[in-house]
Formats: sequence, C-alpha cells, structure tokens
Amino acid sequence: METTEALKRLIKTELNLEDLELEAFEDDMPLFVEGVGLDSLDAVELVILVQKHFGVEIKDMQESRAAFASVRALAEYIDRNRAA
Amino acid sequence: MKAPAWTGRSLGAAWQHRFFYGLIRHLGRRPAYWMADLVSLYYVLAKPSVRAKCRPYLSHRFGHARPVDAWRLSRELARVLVDRAAVGILGPGALETAFSGRETLNGILAEGKGLILVTAHVGAWQLGMANLKIVEAPVTVVMHRNPGDVDRQYFEHGEGPAPFRVLDPDTFLGGSLEMLQILQRGEVLCVMGDRVLGDTSPTVEADFLGAPVELPYGPFKLASLTGAPIVVAFPYKPGMNRYELRVADVIRVPPGLGRRSGNFRPYVQVFAASLEAFTRDFPYHFFNFFDMWAPTPERRDRAGA
Repeated sequence: METTEALKRLIKTELNLEDLELEAFEDDMPLFVEGVGLDSLDAVELVILVQKHFGVEIKDMQESRAAFASVRALAEYIDRNRAA
Repeated sequence: MKAPAWTGRSLGAAWQHRFFYGLIRHLGRRPAYWMADLVSLYYVLAKPSVRAKCRPYLSHRFGHARPVDAWRLSRELARVLVDRAAVGILGPGALETAFSGRETLNGILAEGKGLILVTAHVGAWQLGMANLKIVEAPVTVVMHRNPGDVDRQYFEHGEGPAPFRVLDPDTFLGGSLEMLQILQRGEVLCVMGDRVLGDTSPTVEADFLGAPVELPYGPFKLASLTGAPIVVAFPYKPGMNRYELRVADVIRVPPGLGRRSGNFRPYVQVFAASLEAFTRDFPYHFFNFFDMWAPTPERRDRAGA
C-alpha cells in the first residue's frame, strides 16, 4: 500500500503527468495507452526511477510485462524484489 | 482492416531474388549489376507504383521527379541489394569496407553509458553496421522484418553468426526496455532515425529538404534518460568495390527534457540536417520510399491547435 502510493506520486511528478489526479489514479488502472496513458519511453524512465528510488532493477522481460500491468502490480514487484 | 499506405516489403518475387543469388554465386557481382540495371529500368518504366514511391524524395531533393532520376535511384538500390547478397554469398572479401570513426566510437563507449548510433535508409546500411564489428562492444540493430520479406540480410546467406543482434520493435513496449538494458551494459544500439517504427513511436517535426517531416524522437529521449551519446553515421559507397561508414555528428542530449516533444526538436533537427547533407553528397543513395512529407495526423493536430 505504501509502495503503491509512493509509486503514484513518483509517476505523476517525475513523468510530468500534470493532468493526472492522484485521487483518480486507481491501483489497477493500466499504466500504458488507455488508463494512465504512458508510452514506451515512459517505461524506460519508469524503470530508471524504480531503480533509483527503490533500488530494484527490472531486467527480466517476462516479469516486466506483468509488473507493468498496473501500479499495484509494479508495487508488488518492487516489494517482492526489495525484500529478496 | 485498412491496408497500410506503405510497407517496407521486398519488391519482387522470391524466385527473382533466388535468380539473383544464383547469378552472383556463379558469375559474380558485375553480371548481377547489369541484370539489376535492366530489372530496375523495367520496374520504373512498367510500374507506375515504383515511380510514385520515388517521387516524394526526388521532388524534394531535386524539385522534380523525372523518370530518369527514379531509375537512377532504383538502380542504386538494386545494386546495393546485389552488394548485400554478394557479401553474404561470396564472403566479406567481395567488397572492401572501411570505417573511419573507430576511435570516436570506442572513446564514447569508454564513457560506459553505451552508444546510440542513429543512421538512415542510405547505402547498404546493413553492410555499414557490419563495420561496427571493429568496435569494442556488442551491437544491436533495431530492425523490423515484414512477414512478406523475401530478400535476405547478407549474413543470412551463410552459416556464420550474424555480426549484430536484431531487436524487433514489434515486441512489448516497442523493445524499449531491451534498449535500456543494452545501453546500461555499455553496448551499441543502432536505430533508424528517418522512419517511425510501429504505430506508437512518438515523433517531432523537423525540416528536411525544405519542408517539414515527422521524425522519431525516441532515440533522443532514450539518450536523455540514459546519458548515452548519439552518434549519427551513414554508410555510403564511394567506389564500385568499397563501402564506408561516415560519422556525421555526435549529439549529446541533456537530461531532464521531460515529456514535451518540442524539447527534443533541436537534437532531431541536427540529425535531419546531417541527413540532408548526406543526400546532397549522395543524392541517389537515399532509400526511404516512405512519403515523409505527407500530412500526418500529428501535424494536422498541431495546425488545428
């Protein structure tokens, strides 16, 4: 829960999503295209941000596909790999 | 589903390509050139669609698009395809290749941030990329293969390993995460700067040959995010038996440029200017048959805004 909220704030501020209201940013909202509306280059920035702020590297392409499904999935990925 | 207005599919049937491969294998490159000249003349005279594909570039480069110019352009492409196959079939000795930018590239790679090599559909760019084997890092080329492609890459003729890894942009998130990993490993990533790959590649307007075009700014944003320098390089053919890869520019995109496409325009424009200079030197070596100057939804949106 804590990671999810931190991620939402990070995505909004660091990716300059000025129109995105945190209240409307649902945990299961798809991150790409429809939903939050991130694109493939935002994904690169997000990987770098996750590495910088949470110390978690996203390297496995299969895992990243699942992790990028939503902010909740990404937060779970971070928590799982941070604990490991 | 509406058919796309343009595809990068191979021209000619599979048997025609096999005929050329046989000609090269048994008689060598020169007879294949003669046949390529005739075949390209046939295509230009008999197929209005071929002349139409040549027209956007030629009319912007020369102010007109005469059939003779369409033939010269098509002939050069046909000869490049012969060269490409010849290197694969006859071996690397079939053509002399040279790369003058080795020190530049190795110096940049020593910075440890990888390197984005931005090139264009000019010369035999695959042969140009093969020159990069002298660079001290693995090379990955972002390259889309159409399901209908019948002409082979030169390295597909033989049994040996490919000189570079191919990354298909039609993968998850356009392959952007793989691209990041390549740069983080300090390797070389080669991309085409003159064509948008896929439907979601973001573009920005730049001036090219006197009119605005949409060019992808993805490589430039990737450079901004990772700190990887961009090297603009074009392969060209200065003589009958020789290919060279010329470093045209080194672009360092600063970090923190954000999401606005306009922030990347100055850097994309440097690439466009380099490409324009190349077309001045080698007017019949630009093989991008996509109408880059056609109005796009992005430009219509901006005009209406």
